[in-house]
Amino acid sequence: MNDLYLIVEIAGQRALLPAACVESVVEIEDIAPVPSAPPHVFGLFALRSRVLTVIDTIAALGAGRSCDGEKQAVIVHVDGHLYGILVDDVDDVVQIDGVPAHPRAPLSAGWARYSNGVLDHDGEPMLLIDVAAMIAGPIDIAA
Amino acid sequence: MDDLLGDFVAETRETLEALSGEIVAWELAPDDRSRLDAIFRFVHTVKGSCGFLDLPRLEKLSHAAEDVLADVRADRRRPDSGLVSAVLAVIDRIAELTDAIEDGRFIADADDARLIQALQPGTAPAPAIIPAPSTLDDDVAELAQALDAIQAANDGADDENEVVVVADVAAPQVDRPVTSAPATPRVVSRTIRLPVDLLDRMMAGVSDMVLARNELARRLRESGTESNTEVAFERLSQCIAEMRDSITRTRMARVEHLFTALPRMVRDISAELGKIVQLEIDGGDVELDREMIEMIRDPLTHIVRNAIDHGIELPEVRVLAGKSMAGRLHVSARQVGNQILIEVIDDGRGIDADRLVQKAIASGILGQERAATLSWERKLELIFEPGLSTAQQVTAISGRGVGMDVVRANVERIGGLVDVESRPGQGLRLTLRVPLTLTIIPALTISAGGQHFAIPRSAIDEIVRVGGDAVRMATLGGADIVFIRGTRVPVVSLNKVLGLSETSAQANLVVLKLSGGARYALAVEAVHDHEELVVKPAAPVVMACGIYGGTTLPDNSRPMLLLDVAGVAEKAGVRHDEKGAAETVVEDNDVDQDEKGTVPVLLFRDLDGIERGVPLALVERIEDCFSTSVSTTAGRMRLNIDGRLVPLVSCGAPIIEPKIRVLRMRDGGEELAYAIDIVIDIVPVAIELQRSTVPGPVSGVMLVEDRPVEFIDAFWLFAQGLGIEPAPAQRPICLLSDEDPWTRQVLAPLVESAGYKIIYSQDTGVAADLVIIADGTASEPTEAGAVLRLRQNAEERGGSPNSLWRYDRIGLTAELRRHWNKRSA
Repeated sequence: MNDLYLIVEIAGQRALLPAACVESVVEIEDIAPVPSAPPHVFGLFALRSRVLTVIDTIAALGAGRSCDGEKQAVIVHVDGHLYGILVDDVDDVVQIDGVPAHPRAPLSAGWARYSNGVLDHDGEPMLLIDVAAMIAGPIDIAA
Repeated sequence: MDDLLGDFVAETRETLEALSGEIVAWELAPDDRSRLDAIFRFVHTVKGSCGFLDLPRLEKLSHAAEDVLADVRADRRRPDSGLVSAVLAVIDRIAELTDAIEDGRFIADADDARLIQALQPGTAPAPAIIPAPSTLDDDVAELAQALDAIQAANDGADDENEVVVVADVAAPQVDRPVTSAPATPRVVSRTIRLPVDLLDRMMAGVSDMVLARNELARRLRESGTESNTEVAFERLSQCIAEMRDSITRTRMARVEHLFTALPRMVRDISAELGKIVQLEIDGGDVELDREMIEMIRDPLTHIVRNAIDHGIELPEVRVLAGKSMAGRLHVSARQVGNQILIEVIDDGRGIDADRLVQKAIASGILGQERAATLSWERKLELIFEPGLSTAQQVTAISGRGVGMDVVRANVERIGGLVDVESRPGQGLRLTLRVPLTLTIIPALTISAGGQHFAIPRSAIDEIVRVGGDAVRMATLGGADIVFIRGTRVPVVSLNKVLGLSETSAQANLVVLKLSGGARYALAVEAVHDHEELVVKPAAPVVMACGIYGGTTLPDNSRPMLLLDVAGVAEKAGVRHDEKGAAETVVEDNDVDQDEKGTVPVLLFRDLDGIERGVPLALVERIEDCFSTSVSTTAGRMRLNIDGRLVPLVSCGAPIIEPKIRVLRMRDGGEELAYAIDIVIDIVPVAIELQRSTVPGPVSGVMLVEDRPVEFIDAFWLFAQGLGIEPAPAQRPICLLSDEDPWTRQVLAPLVESAGYKIIYSQDTGVAADLVIIADGTASEPTEAGAVLRLRQNAEERGGSPNSLWRYDRIGLTAELRRHWNKRSA
């Protein structure tokens, strides 16, 4: 396996997103909220006449809620829908060979749910984010 | 059947095109085995399809060609040039007939026999050679080859993912002489195959274009542009609208696609259950969005299954009940407005609502006391409750828990409604009402908690404001209710449903209707606008909230959510508890109104501050517009509504506010807008007017709730708005010889209202059609045709013999009409 990954920073933690599902990285603001939606659904945003659902990663991890104002979002395509995954920072696209390994460490509940394993890049271990799980959010709401 | 035929034509033509090279090559080298095989496969395929489609002529031709080619393949005959041209002639004829099928033309078949004859060896008319019956193995091999041929012709494209689009290429309308000459110019092909994907992309492109147009419209409005920019923009809007229309149409498919599976299904199910069912299908040519067809396939299947399983009785039971042995099942589709109605009617045992109620009570869905208050219709609605089935036992066909609740949920998800109507012992009618298309829906935008939402127009019954006697809020055991013209309707606070803080007042009530006629009022902060919205499905995580139907991008390019009316009701908990009560009151109320002969009247304050009324039936909707979209063109005011110019009529007072409110009215065909200040109320009124004597915007006045209200003269309005009123030049001319105040102020309006143009002095040089003079005046106009004399006194005293008293209204009007008619004749 050799795949491209996007290094992002979420809640102060560097992590990897599979580049295959990433469409672009954009700055977004003025997000229309979705009342009575699960907390990790930050709202809706229009990107060139397409509506995307903005996912608040901090809320998904159970660590409060992202603040308002301009933010960076990674636009991903999952099951025919567009999502914007809020990130603190976007670093680089890297190629990492190999299969994600088991983290062999007790992860926090949030990260355990959203990671697909660990990949090493230049000696730095990083979690591979399971985008679909992140979008589905905490289990109790998805059920 | 037409679709199958269309498919056949398209397919045959495609294969013919692919084959044309082969045919020529074969002519050059008749021994070439692979070419021979290709041609053989073609005629074989055509033969097979023709037998299936009942096209005996094509079948005969292809059969004859196939026989000959089979002989050649089996080396029983040598392919000489005579045989090759004979086969080619047959293939040409097949092509010709195929074109004819599409155009619905007829080609004389006298020639066919000659063509077939030419296939036989030698020139002498030999008796037809009966081909040796091929063995079963051969048949199987041929079938396989035929399938290969179809596959090859389709260029490996996936059949499932293709549609045949009937392009509207105008076929040359020349009356072609009936000939068999293969050189006859071919009709331009009128169907092409397109992948559905491409259509979807086109649709998405047009949707985006509509959004871009909306954005541009907003910008133009904000910047206050010159009129020529606006004209260009309007043209663009028009083009986009037309394009959207035609692309929407490419997405349409005939409901037939939905119905074709029914005969087989009905046959299988009825055979399994030992029932005899006669299926009638109607309206297969109604068109519906392809996606929509897929969405209602399952609900319809379920309903039909139910009808046979639960509805139609066993033959012996039917005979005992005095019915015919065979049960009737009628499935039909028709278009009503922008909805499609699909009806499934059976003449089976129907649904016994009382038994339903018993079951509902037994399973704890319904309380005993509550059951007693339900009307028959409400009881029937119980079939939509989850986990309730009237089937005594679970059969393999239905009653497996996938019930009508799922059917209703599926239909409502696409913005449709399910109605049920049952006559026990006589049958059941289930009606599915679904919108024409999924993607673009007319919607009302409202706001709650400072955020905009859209509500599908189809679900909206009316919009009312709290206040006055007609709309009164109250609480009932902690629940909010509202009395709208005496009807009790449950109130749902949108803020509460959405979990927003209830800060500002929600004085606007949008009354929504649910399946089966239940209603509830949704309290919102503000009602904004009617818009045509391009609705796209929201992400699953948003849909999971259960109260949204999709997302849309309005003009301001800030995403907006479409509310799912049924979902909101569900979440607010009104669905089960309130509708029965609300409905019973409604029904009583309707009866009352009918007895009194009242009609709902819309009361409003006109631009000049006077309270006026208009029958609600005339008003299509009330809309807020920017006064910048009002233009005075071609001598009248017009309003730009969604890129169309609609005549705007007002009482005459100037429009000063930047935003105006208009009543949009339609007389069935023509449309106009009437500018008003504000809407006051909608009240039931038994109209008894004191008629106005002068034609004008007001037809009369009457007291409504002890206030004088002027009623708009709809006739005058449409005549005005559409410019039907005869131009002054065409009216007969009446000369009033006196110019005293009485003549000017009192007489002139009456004469004018009778359709005359008035002049006061002979000097103008215009010949008057009628002259009205005061009796006793000496001067007798010479050239005038008719003279009408008016005298001062009622009694005929000292006046001319045929003079009229000047207040003899009836006599005057009759005279005026008589002269008017004479002039017109």
